[in-house]
Amino acid sequence: MSVKASPGMGAALLAVVALAAVPATNIPPYYLAFLYLIFFWIAMATSWNILSGYAGYWSFGHAAFFGTGVYTSATLATKFGVPFLLTLPVAACVAALLGSAIGFVVFRLQRLRGELFALITISMTFVVATIISNTPIDGGSGVYLISVPLPEAFGSQNGTIYLLGLFMATLTIGTAWWVFRSKMGLGLFAIHDDEDVAEVKGVPTFRYKIAAFALSSGIAGAAGGVYSIYVSYVTVGETFEVTVIMYPVVMSIFGGSRHWLGPAFGAVIVTTALYGFAAGPQASLVRGGVALGLIVVVLLLPDGVMPSLQRWWRILLPGLAPRQVLPELLVPTPRATGAVLAQIAPPLLQCRDVTKTFGGVRALKGITLDVRPGEILGLVGPNGSGKSTLINVITGHFQLNAGSVTFDGTSIEGMPAHRVARLGIARSYQIPRPFNRLTVLGNVALAASFGGGVGEAEAERLASYWLTYTGLAKKAFDYPVQLNLHERKFLELARGLAARPRILLLDEVLSGLNNTEIDEALGLMRDIRDRGTTIIFVEHLMRAVVALSDRVAVLNNGALIAVGTPEETMRNPEVVSVYLGKAHAS
Amino acid sequence: MPSLSLLEQSLITGVLTGGLYGLLALGLSMSWGLLRLVNLGHFAIALLGAYITWWLGTAYGVAPWLAGAIIVVAFFIYGVALHWVFMRFAVTEMASMLITFALAVIVESTLQFIWTADFRRYETPWGSESWIVGSLYVPKLNLMAFLVACLLAGGTWAWLRYTYVGRALRACAEDAPIAIAYGINHRRLSFILSGLCAAYAGVAGVFIALVATLAPSQIWSWVGVVFAVVIIGRLGNPVGALAGGILIGVCEALTMAVINPSWAALVSFSVLIALLLFKPRWV
Amino acid sequence: MLLEVRDIAVGYGGAPAISDVSVDVGEAEIVSVIGPNGAGKSTLINAIAGLLRWQSGAIHFGGVDLSAVAPHKVCSEGIALVPEGRRLFPGMSVEDNLDIGCYRREARRLRARGFERAYTLFPVLAERRQQLAGTLSGGQQQMVAIARALMSQPRLLLLDEPSLGLAPSIVGEMFRVIQMIQQEGMAILLVEQNVGQAMEIADRAYVLEEGHIVATGKPQVLLAQSRIREAYLGL
Repeated sequence: MSVKASPGMGAALLAVVALAAVPATNIPPYYLAFLYLIFFWIAMATSWNILSGYAGYWSFGHAAFFGTGVYTSATLATKFGVPFLLTLPVAACVAALLGSAIGFVVFRLQRLRGELFALITISMTFVVATIISNTPIDGGSGVYLISVPLPEAFGSQNGTIYLLGLFMATLTIGTAWWVFRSKMGLGLFAIHDDEDVAEVKGVPTFRYKIAAFALSSGIAGAAGGVYSIYVSYVTVGETFEVTVIMYPVVMSIFGGSRHWLGPAFGAVIVTTALYGFAAGPQASLVRGGVALGLIVVVLLLPDGVMPSLQRWWRILLPGLAPRQVLPELLVPTPRATGAVLAQIAPPLLQCRDVTKTFGGVRALKGITLDVRPGEILGLVGPNGSGKSTLINVITGHFQLNAGSVTFDGTSIEGMPAHRVARLGIARSYQIPRPFNRLTVLGNVALAASFGGGVGEAEAERLASYWLTYTGLAKKAFDYPVQLNLHERKFLELARGLAARPRILLLDEVLSGLNNTEIDEALGLMRDIRDRGTTIIFVEHLMRAVVALSDRVAVLNNGALIAVGTPEETMRNPEVVSVYLGKAHAS
Repeated sequence: MPSLSLLEQSLITGVLTGGLYGLLALGLSMSWGLLRLVNLGHFAIALLGAYITWWLGTAYGVAPWLAGAIIVVAFFIYGVALHWVFMRFAVTEMASMLITFALAVIVESTLQFIWTADFRRYETPWGSESWIVGSLYVPKLNLMAFLVACLLAGGTWAWLRYTYVGRALRACAEDAPIAIAYGINHRRLSFILSGLCAAYAGVAGVFIALVATLAPSQIWSWVGVVFAVVIIGRLGNPVGALAGGILIGVCEALTMAVINPSWAALVSFSVLIALLLFKPRWV
Repeated sequence: MLLEVRDIAVGYGGAPAISDVSVDVGEAEIVSVIGPNGAGKSTLINAIAGLLRWQSGAIHFGGVDLSAVAPHKVCSEGIALVPEGRRLFPGMSVEDNLDIGCYRREARRLRARGFERAYTLFPVLAERRQQLAGTLSGGQQQMVAIARALMSQPRLLLLDEPSLGLAPSIVGEMFRVIQMIQQEGMAILLVEQNVGQAMEIADRAYVLEEGHIVATGKPQVLLAQSRIREAYLGL
């Protein structure tokens, strides 16, 4: 998205300039320090949120990166005499490197999500702390930065520290906003909601997570560098304190981790509560109060304060609400039929001896199957016969154990699912798995943008086109939970179509629909094929399979037992015996 | 190279410290493994138990065992109430971590407000008594903590394994709907378990008061080590929690004796990270 | 009738998965409900077992209105479920799994007899009583699932796809055992997509299609109708 000058941005710029001028007034140093602390926590919380809030990987290791930054700056400035301002980018780089390295190892393991990721990051913090404490970096006695020279702004070092804090806070919020609005932000939100689906829809999940982790830890490192000169005496005990680990989490949750401004909002409130009023013995009570507030927010407002604030804003200032209208789009009439093509062209998708085992159980026992361009292939078989496994293999979600899958001459073996998606293979899920915190439009735009590989504007245009096509245009700005089953199924379909696939795999799109809805869906599927998309569809509703398919493939116990026209296949004695028992195979 | 008797002595210290770790890990492991709730507040209420023991003992002369009885009952009720809140708001694993963290902060600040941040030491007549075996010292209170840890871990293990209620709890953790279909009252059992976990924290607290120096910030010094113990011992496995505690305790004590006391923390976390990276199915 | 299901509808938010479904099971009777995947068979059986709540209609068991019975009390009425995909407690031993079956107080008294019966029906389980259920083969897991249900001394056994994922030879064995259990006087409600086997042992059968009962009667009569072929083969 191009950055346009808007009233909001103007106001933000004005606010930053006004804040930058604060040290010029004769404000007492105490308040300057207090404001610096607010900036510091804004940078910490907002940077934490870029990975953990957006993508849902809760890191309890922010203190490790912060501490890395603190000690990088402290060491360079005191032991090597590097000018202090120059140490800050170095601190950011070292912390970002550490973050990417950890991410590189940890993100490869699919199981390290949720609380396990939290645990491994908290452990990293203690490991980094122990190493720093026991090596000459700290040596256990702490590092003094009192004599480190620092240019003076507005006549004092405090002014410089204040400005550095303001700069970090602005930079962090800017970065968070930029990520929020970018394609990467969309991808991170999808990872948060359902990482497997995100990957299958074309989001390079591994790369995005590392990039987010590097950004997040790099900013924490730079903030740590500034903090070292602010405290001017750094110790391992205080740098890696549990509060440093927990406050960014608390602030983000409090403010709302789904919004780019939420953590900053939380940081202002929490920091003010912690340092603004309390001194002396009351300080501990205030801390307890903040904790109580956190409990209330987690229980009553699981999304944080920000969404509620936005709602009030809209009620108070309806003019500022975003315009929510889809462009009117004409749905063109079908192009030349693809069915003719199917007879002559070489196969689009070739499965050769595809074998997949799960811990000794052979789910697919050597499937060989060609899919011709422009055909509708019905994939049927009893429960547990391997249909879903086959779909997961073709879309790259499962790696196969033997055999090969070739799509239009390209082997998809060992290819990550997001690259398979870009080749032009899309799927829908039997039980709809929408990204629940993206709007209906966002869901489809994501598929268009990542699977179809188009720019943002084009993705939205494609998305509204397919939403109109599937009859969901009126619901474009709703969230998936507001849809009924029928609409969610059609959302799955729209997500598949928006990726502009050459092959669309539909997993039981008809189950749970009533008769009129089924007829409607069958009409859509024929039309989609007539536009040139090849369709493989798994279905249990046999009258639909027979009515729609050009060919039917029957799986049983992981093996392909028959393939051919619907009539001939469903009369095949072996197929009949699978369904009705041997006695009725005649 | 340190002398043999130093190694032997640190082995004993490690095992005994490990018992205390195990005692702390027991309730955490059970609530995480069987209720899928990560209770960061566990450490806080253990320390609260320790402060109450110290306070009742020094201000009113209440014997530790009597204080322990009061604490166990009170904490059991607290555990049930906490679980009621979790059920009422359908709290997720991640949210349970946040809420219990906040509870820990509340306990910490309350302790600090009432008893200040100063170090407290519960002086008891038995505090300095030790058995002397050859050239080795075995402090009596630490040994007692260790024995109680063994008793509780073993007892809980047997309870989970050999009683209908224990088996039902494990069944609920594996597949709650089916367990309910076989007549198990999932709700009631989880209340009991939550109460029990809190009561275990109380027991740990009594011994912490007896063998350690108290300060409100100590809550956080255990978090890392005990989580490592819980995972190494496998979630929901009481004997594993004790064994993990002993393993970590011994590793730490040996590191202290052979290398340098300040490297000790690295041991438990390296073990934990290695376990998470190379054997993620363990958890 | 022992079990009377009257016009129940069960939904998961969207369109109801089953509606207007009525099914009866008498004492010592095997009743099969067949239908293609996705027809709503499991939904029906889970509603009877108390795992799902129904929105309208009524289920009576032995004269008791099940809508007034808490989910964990359904089992005490004498209904035992063998769920789809077996759903054993994989980290617990075979014996522990069976002990969960006799958790309710009335069944505990008959525990010894229950074990004897289970090991007589499935001798292989006696050899493996200390093995973790998750490490058994598919067929043996199905045996444990049936044995676990029998341990609760039910009057009605609900079997959800007992043949799912099993080798054909084991499927035959499983149905033989089911018939033996019925001959001891147990009422059985069997849900299957394996039409051949399910019809062979059934006294009566219902055909469920897209959430509705579309046919009912004696198996031989039903199999002669074209309705089943249509549902399963689309022809």
